[in-house]
Amino acid sequence: MSVLRPLDKLPGLNTATILLVGTEDVLLQQLAEAMLKEDCTSELKVHLAKSLPLPSNVNRPRIDLIVFVVNLHSKHSLRNVEESLHHVDAAFFLGKVSFLATGAGRESHCSIHRNTVMKLAHTYRSPLLFCDLEIEDFRATMAQRLVRMLQICAGHVPSVSALNLLSLLQNSENPSLEDL
Amino acid sequence: METQSEEQAAAEAADSRGEGEPLQVAGAQAARPEDRMALLLRVRAQTKQQLLEYKSMVDANEEKTPEQIMQEKQIEVKIEELEKEIEEAKIAFEMKKLALDSVLMDNMKQILSLNKSVMKSQQETRDLEDKLLDVRKKRLQLKQASERKLLEIQTEKNKQKDDLGSMENSGKIKTIQQNLEMEIQITTVIQHVFQNLILGSKANWAEDSALKETVLQLEKNLTMIQ
Repeated sequence: MSVLRPLDKLPGLNTATILLVGTEDVLLQQLAEAMLKEDCTSELKVHLAKSLPLPSNVNRPRIDLIVFVVNLHSKHSLRNVEESLHHVDAAFFLGKVSFLATGAGRESHCSIHRNTVMKLAHTYRSPLLFCDLEIEDFRATMAQRLVRMLQICAGHVPSVSALNLLSLLQNSENPSLEDL
Repeated sequence: METQSEEQAAAEAADSRGEGEPLQVAGAQAARPEDRMALLLRVRAQTKQQLLEYKSMVDANEEKTPEQIMQEKQIEVKIEELEKEIEEAKIAFEMKKLALDSVLMDNMKQILSLNKSVMKSQQETRDLEDKLLDVRKKRLQLKQASERKLLEIQTEKNKQKDDLGSMENSGKIKTIQQNLEMEIQITTVIQHVFQNLILGSKANWAEDSALKETVLQLEKNLTMIQ
């Protein structure tokens, strides 16, 4: 399948699957391990991919949340993410996609401006998270956040849906973008 | 582009933090049915939520998307309008929830106060029952005491009767009785002697009052005294 659709498969019982897309293998692996260490009542499945589209020969469960990881130090990762975005169905952007920008701590190494990523996230109406994945504590906190988001996107939290979460997260972001 | 993608973690950790693993530890047997119940309830809630999501997607897909190609600005404006509508709907919902919650609060408070009064009256009932129990116990004790006393009285009486009976059979009384009899016989003999003396004197005893009294007195039968 060349395009990822959010609801084309039935969900697994008590299972939540997240897909991390990014060029930084090491960081993604570490983030995945941090997420799996988290205490969670549902079963977690983490899939990693360098870019989309994913090979169609693999039998994979329904993906509940896609996180695109952009490294602010390399333009290549941004381009990779932008190209992968074409292979995601529009229905995913109703709260099941999130952007994660890493490397903002070392301002001197940043080749991509923060605003570029913010504009990207604004275009796709998805939440943008900043986290330095190289630092273990921040990584652990971000893993916690992602686990909670994943639970909501998978429908494991009653009375909160992905769309709900999206509108909750957007309120704090939009005012700043109006100033741009 | 298409060949580049490597899916690294297809066999990725299905690291089940779920309830499966801890349950299989031997010795956690007592917690198993409760954990299963919890799991079932959780899965039920999840399924409900997921069903809701699918339903809403189906409803959304039935909406007709605008076919004409609009300028980007117009699309942005439209999107923002829709978002505003969503926000207003959410705010209205929250207000309704708050209103309902306040009513609920009142009910809860009433229920709490009723519970308190119920507990108080139950406490009072228990106290009264305790008192009743005490009084009954005392009555029982008194009854038993009176029983004992009556029993004592009875035994005392029986003892006295026995004593009397035994006394009568003792030898002392017999000798006294014998003496008494002998005395009476002697006195009777003396009576007869005096009588015969007076009669033998051939005096007219009826005329003299003193003699009359003496004779009559001698007539008294002493055996009656026994």
